[in-house]
Amino acid sequence: MKIKGKKIQVNGWLVSRNIILGIGFLMIAVPLYLVVINAFKSLKAAGDNFFAFPKMLYLDNFRNLFSDNHYWGFVGNSAIITVISISLITLFVPLVSYAIARNYEKRYYKFIYFYLLMGLFIPSQVIMLPVTKLMTSLNLLNKSGLILLYLAFSFTQGVFLFVNFIRGLPLEIEEAAHIDGCTVMQTYSKIMVPMMKPMLATIIVMDSLWIWNDFLLPLMILNKSQASWTLPLFQYNFKTEYSFDYTMAFTAYLMSMLPILIVYACGQKYIVKGLTAGAVKG
Amino acid sequence: MQKKRQIISSKLVFFSFTIIPLALYSFFYVYSVVTGIRYSFSDWDGISPDYQFIGLENYRKLVHNPAFWRSLKTTLVYTILLVIGVIVLALILALSLNSLKRFRGFIKSFFFVPAMIGAVTIALIWDQMFLRVLPYIGELLRIPWLSASFLGNVKTALPAVVFVNIWQAVAMPTLIFLSGLQVIPDEQYESAMLDGATTFQKFRYLTFPYILPTVTVNLVLIIKAGFTTFDYSYALTGGGPVRATEVIGIMIYNDAFQNMKFSMANAEACVLFIIIAVFSVIQIKLTSRGGVNT
Repeated sequence: MKIKGKKIQVNGWLVSRNIILGIGFLMIAVPLYLVVINAFKSLKAAGDNFFAFPKMLYLDNFRNLFSDNHYWGFVGNSAIITVISISLITLFVPLVSYAIARNYEKRYYKFIYFYLLMGLFIPSQVIMLPVTKLMTSLNLLNKSGLILLYLAFSFTQGVFLFVNFIRGLPLEIEEAAHIDGCTVMQTYSKIMVPMMKPMLATIIVMDSLWIWNDFLLPLMILNKSQASWTLPLFQYNFKTEYSFDYTMAFTAYLMSMLPILIVYACGQKYIVKGLTAGAVKG
Repeated sequence: MQKKRQIISSKLVFFSFTIIPLALYSFFYVYSVVTGIRYSFSDWDGISPDYQFIGLENYRKLVHNPAFWRSLKTTLVYTILLVIGVIVLALILALSLNSLKRFRGFIKSFFFVPAMIGAVTIALIWDQMFLRVLPYIGELLRIPWLSASFLGNVKTALPAVVFVNIWQAVAMPTLIFLSGLQVIPDEQYESAMLDGATTFQKFRYLTFPYILPTVTVNLVLIIKAGFTTFDYSYALTGGGPVRATEVIGIMIYNDAFQNMKFSMANAEACVLFIIIAVFSVIQIKLTSRGGVNT
């Protein structure tokens, strides 16, 4: 009797669990499915039946989007900004973190650490307006300016994650390298960089997502001239750009999601692991 | 002598690592924070060459401005809905995923897809969902209240915007909870089972203490995201209808760039900063006790 009761209870949990996961799966899958199928429909076909699989492969949306020179400009802007920012971030954040982590007992480095950490609690709205003002006066309302801002803003979270990570690494190997006559630079590049790989992956993923998808900073820094828009700005302004053709809008959304989803599909195991490690330590 | 020189040079190398980051951060970040606070005590419109410091005048006006209180309330409701929605859903999803034996890797990865997509893309996709899909379903099933977009209705606009935010924001906390759940040793569940603990007791006395530290991390992240939210309201409703979704982030943006009330917008931003700081401190104090440190 008791065994039977227990069995029913377990099954109840399994059933409700599967229902929960099923609903969650549908909530994610349905919007994505609709974006994909309607990107391949004409406006009329979508109007006839929004949910049906396209009867024929209609590629005019893609053709229109790709033949628009502006569009490739926006893709290029997003790519350039993301790639250069990430390269600079992965160069500078680990270096300063290494200096802090290995000199933590010195007052100067401890001060820098908390000075950089302070930014974690400041909402972006507080600096939004002064930054725009500053960038205007420096003539930096352009891609270079935006890249500098991303680099400057990346130190807060990046240093926090990296310093904690490096302080968890054993010191002995570095000491041995030092005794063998390695300079700081050699120790860093030959010993630290390989050991920091998981954290490097984490910061590359987190900051790439942030920069590729960011809306607020480009809106403030790049909104003036259309030639320097990024993809999120383009999408936001899509309605005014084209007479609103929603199947073509879906094509545009699909094309901006695709690069990141492909990267994710290829490296999802690594990405998910790296993000969890970074987040839990953070 | 050789050794001494080496130590001095490595000290210099370490020091040189800090110069560029420190300069950039100080110049773009800290300088901006300080000027932002300074401007909040002035009457600058953001354009004219001269301005005056007027002390607490902006803050005084703010306190007497019903629109400010309204957007503060909207932000608070937004944050509460977001926190409850994300935490509850993430916990349920994490517990469900954790008990999964087959396909766990695939399903976990699939549930993480929304976190990859940008807020603007998501907002615009859901805009179309509200506009086309839900009315279509409403027509099909003859449910009249589904026929108009939730975003156009004063009562439903805010929950709809929060829903879209939750849709994306739930993935990361789920993952963090999941990694918290995975450190609980199986033996503890077995002994709890032997002691005859109910499902709820197991959750309350075993699972919950273990994941409490991750609750803290998640809460800090979500509370900040809620108070500073901007993208979703801006892209979905632009703050409307009738200011129903005008969160503080939108009010600050509009006051600064549309209404030319630059210094006022800075005062609003400073108030927001104080609120976030207070919430973070209270919240960390409340939840940092009583967890199992992992």
